[in-house]
Amino acid sequence: MFKAIVSASTLRDALDSVSVLVDECKIRLNEDELAIRAVDPANVGMVDLALDAAAFESYEADGGVIGVNLSRLEDIAGMANAGDLVHLELDEETRKLHIRIDGLSYTLALIDPDSIRQEPDIPDLDLPATIVLEGNQLDRGIKAADMVSDHIALRVDEDEEAFFIEAEGDTDDVDLELGRDDLIDLAAGPANSLFSLDYLKDMNKAIPGDAEVTVELGEEFPVKLHYEIAEGMGQVTYMLAPRIQSD
Amino acid sequence: MDFADFAARAEEIEAESADLEITALVRDLFEESNDDLPIVARFVQGRVFPAWDSTTLDIGPNLCYEAIARAAGPNVTAADVEDRLAETGEIGEVAASYEFGGQRGLASFAGGGRDGLTVSEVDRSLRDLAAAEGSGSRDRKLDVLFGLFNRSSPAEARYLARLVLSEMRIGVGEGTVRDAIAEAFDAPVAAVERALQVSNDYGRVAELAREEGEAGLEGVQLEIGRPVQAMLAQAGTVGDALEAWGTVAVETKYDGARVQVHYDGEAVSVFSRNMEDVTDALPEIVEFVEENVGPPAILDGEVVAVEPREEGDGVRPLPFQEVLRRFRRKHDVGRMRGEVTLWLHAFDCLHADGEDLLEAPLTERYERLTEVLDGGVSKLTLTDDSEEIAAVEAAALEDGHEGIMLKNPESEYTPGRRGKNWLKRKPDVETLDLVVTGAEWGEGRRAKFLGTFLLSARTESGYETIGKVATGITDEKLAELTGLLEPEIEAQDGKDVTIRPSVVFEVGYEEIQRSPTYSSGYALRFPRFVAVREDKDPDDADTLERVERLAGSSNAT
Repeated sequence: MFKAIVSASTLRDALDSVSVLVDECKIRLNEDELAIRAVDPANVGMVDLALDAAAFESYEADGGVIGVNLSRLEDIAGMANAGDLVHLELDEETRKLHIRIDGLSYTLALIDPDSIRQEPDIPDLDLPATIVLEGNQLDRGIKAADMVSDHIALRVDEDEEAFFIEAEGDTDDVDLELGRDDLIDLAAGPANSLFSLDYLKDMNKAIPGDAEVTVELGEEFPVKLHYEIAEGMGQVTYMLAPRIQSD
Repeated sequence: MDFADFAARAEEIEAESADLEITALVRDLFEESNDDLPIVARFVQGRVFPAWDSTTLDIGPNLCYEAIARAAGPNVTAADVEDRLAETGEIGEVAASYEFGGQRGLASFAGGGRDGLTVSEVDRSLRDLAAAEGSGSRDRKLDVLFGLFNRSSPAEARYLARLVLSEMRIGVGEGTVRDAIAEAFDAPVAAVERALQVSNDYGRVAELAREEGEAGLEGVQLEIGRPVQAMLAQAGTVGDALEAWGTVAVETKYDGARVQVHYDGEAVSVFSRNMEDVTDALPEIVEFVEENVGPPAILDGEVVAVEPREEGDGVRPLPFQEVLRRFRRKHDVGRMRGEVTLWLHAFDCLHADGEDLLEAPLTERYERLTEVLDGGVSKLTLTDDSEEIAAVEAAALEDGHEGIMLKNPESEYTPGRRGKNWLKRKPDVETLDLVVTGAEWGEGRRAKFLGTFLLSARTESGYETIGKVATGITDEKLAELTGLLEPEIEAQDGKDVTIRPSVVFEVGYEEIQRSPTYSSGYALRFPRFVAVREDKDPDDADTLERVERLAGSSNAT
């Protein structure tokens, strides 16, 4: 059983965070939250989304799992104006999701959840450095890096108490330094890892500019990016595996 | 099996040049493939899907270059990969020239064990990739491909790149796989061959040979909905056909697209000659089959574009290009259906009502075809008479078709083989303009007409005979020719008449042979009447000298 009403903007924010990584995903319709966890086909990037029941206008669910084609669902959500409410209801018998938006009604065929790529075991990481910054700052660093390279280094300098976003191209280099005063928070620790911009750019697309992003970082370890949606009633966490740093 | 092991074997096979050694290496590989045997049997041929399955990876070279570039990083672009390709000329070589693995996977941080690729994992990933569709599918394919390359060693990358672009090229052809299956699992080559023809699935046949041996292979049946390769024809002559088989099955050769129609009693599938599913593009063929085929069946035939004749009834065929406007079409099928009308001409029946007919003789298959299909059956003429064959050909050409097919009435249906049992009659290379110097009165219904015409080539001193042409065309035409020639009759002896040289026929033929039968010392093989050359006098007809020249040049080939 699943029946919910949610604002179009909340639904879109939630879907966007996942669709930057995968086309299809399993949605867990838990009693107290809607949850999605998905990994990209190369097993490099992962997203973990939880949308509390409180983020919905109304929410009833009993723990089922459905498989959806995300771009289809995003297209439908795109038909709504920002203030519109989206009604979602699962037809258990036909395994279809009925969606209503301001007089528009759409029946979405679901995908067999078993046909969707298994979610990975989540690495249980205890990362030594934590940086909290604004989505805009991260965006600025990623955009600058993208001008010169397809890779980006994230680094914390413990002595200087600063967070560095760096990129080395064939000819040009980019370096963005954010000191403690520039950041919302910093728990310095040994942290220096290299990441593929392909993935980071996609993740960055979904992160709102005004969001508070918590970055957890280590030495040659995956990075975790955490931010909230739906006024704190939704949590998104990305995890991205590093590239090996060649000297 | 680890993909690294497969790559190592592929490398060994590629380095070998002797066929027997290659077969032995493939055999060894099959013997050790265990659960991955079906996949390995396909991979060695650069295939992910069985041949009957029209699913493709649909990975363009550019997507592959991009994936390689991304795995090769940092800062390697698809253009860099293309540059290396321009230098080495081979994508496997290029893929192997990079050091991949720079991007780590999340699994390696989750205490997960090994990170090496397995054969089955590669297979599964590529199948997932093929299933990707819709707006973001290109990016998803790139992600999957990148993921695979990223986990590849140079040796693995070499064969992965080739597999992905369907250019395995390690010297393993279908025959090698067939022989290797037979050797590995101790099955007769003929049984393997037959099972392959029927199932079009090297993986399945390899597994069957291993699990169930010869009996299992013999149990392989056609499956409705899974196309088999079409039987093919080679070029040949009427003379060859009559010599080889005595009686020849003759039918119209259509200028259309070959199709294999599968009907399971409810649904119809139509496949192209390359076993591509073209059902959706040909709705009227589907409807026709639904309405006119009784029991479940697999039919072989040709789809032809037609238009109503300007005068009289029926339709006339249009050139092949018109069929192409409909074939494989994914959009605007309805509109195009209005523009180009298609007809099915079925000429063979591979399966009828639960019974496979591949091994039945052509005549029996044709009979079954007429039983299962109501209308749309191409006419089959059985004859040992070259004149009758000429008549069938003349009628086919007159109706606007391409010519005729000559088939061995006793032959089995051998999928995919370009054998000697089906011949496309070679079109005439040349025609000769010959003078009519004699004729014979016809018999029976044609007693009033001159039927067989004696032809001569011009010499400096007169005319030398070279052959007879029995037009084998309509009574109307015979009447016209009789009217033209009767006034020129010089002498009569029984049915034979001598005709004063005055009329020139254009005559087609398959070959000029030396022959004592005619005074010229030559005879035309399979001569056919083309037209009366009203613009030519006997003095303008072809000379014996030209005949000799043509005979010389054709003998030289």
